[in-house]
Amino acid sequence: MRTLLEDLTAALGAGAVKGDPLELALYARDASVMEGSAGCVCFPTDAAQVQAVVGVARAHGRSVVPRGSGTGLAGGAVPIGKPGAEPVVVVTTRMNRILSVDAAARTAWVEPGVLNLDLSRAVAHLGLHFAPDPSSQQACSVGGNVANNSGGPHCLAYGVTTAHVLAVEVVLSDGSVARLGGTDPDPTGYDLRGAFVGSEGTMGLATAVLVRLTPLPPAVRTLLADFPSAESAAETVSAVIAAGVVPAALEMMDQRITVAVEDFVHAGFPTDAAAVLLAEIDGLPGGVDAAVATVVELARRHGARQVRVAADEAERALLWKGRKSAFGAVARIAPDYYLHDAVVPRTRLSEVLQRVYEIADANHVGVMNVFHAGDGNLHPLFLFDRRVPGALERVHEAAGEVLRICLDAGGVLSGEHGIGLEKRDYMPLLFSEDDLAAQDALRRAFDPERLFNPDKVLPSGSRCGDIRSLPEGVWV
Amino acid sequence: MRLEVDDDELAACVSCGLCLPHCPTYRVTGEESASPRGRIAAMRAVHAGAEAGPAFTSFMDLCVQCRGCEAACPSGVPFGRLMEGARRTLVAERRYQPWWRRAGYRLLGHHRLLLAASSAAALAQRAGLVPARLGLPRLPVRRPRLDASGTDAWLFTGCVMDAWMRPTHAAALRAMEATGAGVTPVGAGCCGALAEHAGLAEVAGGQAARVVASMTGTAPVVVDSAGCGAVMKDYGRLLGTPGAQAFAGRVMDVSEWLATRPLPTGRRLPLRVAVQDPCHLRHVQRAHAHVRTVLTPYVEEVVELDDDGLCCGAGGAYATVHPDMAARIRALKLEAIAGARPDVVASSNPGCAMHLAAAGVVVRHPVEIIAEALGGPEALGG
Ligand SMILES: Cc1cc2nc3c(=O)[nH]c(=O)nc-3n(C[C@H](O)[C@H](O)[C@H](O)COP(=O)(O)OP(=O)(O)OC[C@H]3O[C@@H](n4cnc5c(N)ncnc54)[C@H](O)[C@@H]3O)c2cc1C
Ligand code: SF4
Ligand code: SF4
Repeated sequence: MRTLLEDLTAALGAGAVKGDPLELALYARDASVMEGSAGCVCFPTDAAQVQAVVGVARAHGRSVVPRGSGTGLAGGAVPIGKPGAEPVVVVTTRMNRILSVDAAARTAWVEPGVLNLDLSRAVAHLGLHFAPDPSSQQACSVGGNVANNSGGPHCLAYGVTTAHVLAVEVVLSDGSVARLGGTDPDPTGYDLRGAFVGSEGTMGLATAVLVRLTPLPPAVRTLLADFPSAESAAETVSAVIAAGVVPAALEMMDQRITVAVEDFVHAGFPTDAAAVLLAEIDGLPGGVDAAVATVVELARRHGARQVRVAADEAERALLWKGRKSAFGAVARIAPDYYLHDAVVPRTRLSEVLQRVYEIADANHVGVMNVFHAGDGNLHPLFLFDRRVPGALERVHEAAGEVLRICLDAGGVLSGEHGIGLEKRDYMPLLFSEDDLAAQDALRRAFDPERLFNPDKVLPSGSRCGDIRSLPEGVWV
Repeated sequence: MRLEVDDDELAACVSCGLCLPHCPTYRVTGEESASPRGRIAAMRAVHAGAEAGPAFTSFMDLCVQCRGCEAACPSGVPFGRLMEGARRTLVAERRYQPWWRRAGYRLLGHHRLLLAASSAAALAQRAGLVPARLGLPRLPVRRPRLDASGTDAWLFTGCVMDAWMRPTHAAALRAMEATGAGVTPVGAGCCGALAEHAGLAEVAGGQAARVVASMTGTAPVVVDSAGCGAVMKDYGRLLGTPGAQAFAGRVMDVSEWLATRPLPTGRRLPLRVAVQDPCHLRHVQRAHAHVRTVLTPYVEEVVELDDDGLCCGAGGAYATVHPDMAARIRALKLEAIAGARPDVVASSNPGCAMHLAAAGVVVRHPVEIIAEALGGPEALGG
């Protein structure tokens, strides 16, 4: 029998399959802190090639791990498998064509490897964009967005990825190609598209996506307010929403992260403020002006020291660049970070924030906070240096505590980064056994043999008790 | 194999992937091994003891050293230094640069020899003896003379550029003098950039020392090649002496220097000019804004390319060493240029200019456009 590598090479051609150990090691992780190991890596260029890969993987008893740009923060693209049975990683970077754009219907068929920002840029001349805008949008793929049902600052007004995906073409574990969803606003039958979006690569591999495109707003204003305390910023957020204003985005950063960001972008973020709020209002010019006035007024009333409205597109872009590079900029302070992703009711933001600082202090780890404040999505970042003995364990401890206080405050496990590998074993904290069994049944309907990304999302023990062993370094 | 890199700098990458779209080789291949994040991961693996086999060398060698990743990295990973360190180690331990590449880099420091070789090649070209597939531009048999006019500033003329594109230096002189300055052109051979990028630290150091010694005093050292300017601004680190540090502080790109001067009045040429930012001007010197400042008064319209300053694939000696990859990267740039519909593309780096011209693009150095707008007696045609 031929080897896995030989069979894949026969199916895809030599340049599209990698097996060198050093090269495989480069696919051991994504942007999370977890690590696995890949058996083979391949780069199909269309659905037929993906079908071929699925056939070969099955024949060799290997699982398949889809991978887009590898910017996932929950380990979704991390390949996990026993030695000798490591997964085949299927990378979508060479499936990166925009297949068709229908400007009138405001839709486009795209391949999964198209980068989020590239898509928006490509349709900007039509006055359109792809609304989900994760902070990683310059780098992450539409396929990854679909798999993780990703959000972003502007999803406060526009909704997360699932609101912008009409249909998905998927290669399933038996090698067939199915089209889920359609252009019909209310398709007949089960909403399989809805089940697939957010499935984190566990139900099949998306080979094409029909996305909804959103008109660029006629007017946009971005403002930056700085506050003497995190509470006053959080209260402003609640007041804005209570006043009936729905900003396109409402983001908060605490002082520590603001300092790190300013060091990178030099956009004039006030580094002495306890917290800053970045708000964006868009819509028709008249309405925008009125809403801006309301936000400015509310910010002032809640103690904002200064409210700055971006004067032009360049200033606006710079402010957003600052916000969107917040995670990365943290590395200027410590070599490793662990990023938390939790959601709490908006009214309890400042209280939870206070607890986060206390937990970090008690565990002697540094912490910084960014939030999608408008929807209560909290991102504490714990700073550490993995080369320091015990550092990782202390962060692990703090992260677990934060998760528990968020759940106690009525929150959920993941705001937008997914469950992946990282939060898989926390699922029982939120779901009963029956809940998990129902989810597993859905997954089995798509992928009865757990061919796709088997060790992700659902605790593998929840169904048949086969506790899979995790390689060393995997952190769940 | 321990790499000649700083442990903290190597640890600084958090694998976020935000650099990926800014990397030309990743854009073309979609492979981690051809991305900044992947190259850093490979360096870490090898630094920690993994076998540094042919795969490792090829991952490192395929990097254009455009440093687009460095400007894009929010974590401040100094990728250029890491790559140079990795290559230095490969040179020392794996005979990474074959003898003919090393000989080539050395020749660049011997300016008279280079000029003679270039003229000989030009004659051979005229006689039809040089195969077109080498992609050489039409080499000049004769070069205009460059005369000193004063001591307000130096103009560094470099190696290959002086041999092949001296009219650009003439245009730089013309534009500089029109601002009222007296300028002394100095040719002291190669600045060392190519050898430094190749990991040949010793060759680079020798060349750099010669350049430092050739332009004494405190007058600004003006450079009209972005790649040379970038390394000359880094001489302090390269040579590690206070003298080199002081010299580096005097180095300015020609547009950067012109922007500090009162710009002379000239004609407004009926041209739509697209600015192509050489990587070493934009990502390394971060001085690309000045090009717009100094061009705007002299042309009808300055337009931007819609590619976030992605590398064109020239990369100093890169296009010679990896012609296929360089051409695939260039194809992306050609698309961006086509989208901007310019009459002419302005590039401040001779390598980029030649690489793009070889694909049929009309490219001129910004100072050539300015010199034309200023008019005057000089015969500036190249
Ligand atoms: C700096 C930074 C900022 C971020 N900001 C945000 C943010 O604001 N909001 C947010 O939601 N996320 C954010 N993320 C997380 C991440 O970027 C998103 O989850 C993104 O959608 C992942 O896309 P990707 O292409 O990198 O996917 P990958 O990481 O490659 O994969 C993610 C998951 O999708 C699966 N997958 C990928 N492609 C396919 C496919 N074609 N078919 C089926 N499954 C597939 C993989 O198996 C994996 O489970 C951020 C990450 C970073 C590093
Ligand atoms: S080099 Fe910088 S941008 Fe690229 S992955 Fe590393 S930290 Fe992120
Ligand atoms: S220097 Fe350029 S080619 Fe090399 S890794 Fe960075 S972006 Fe890619």
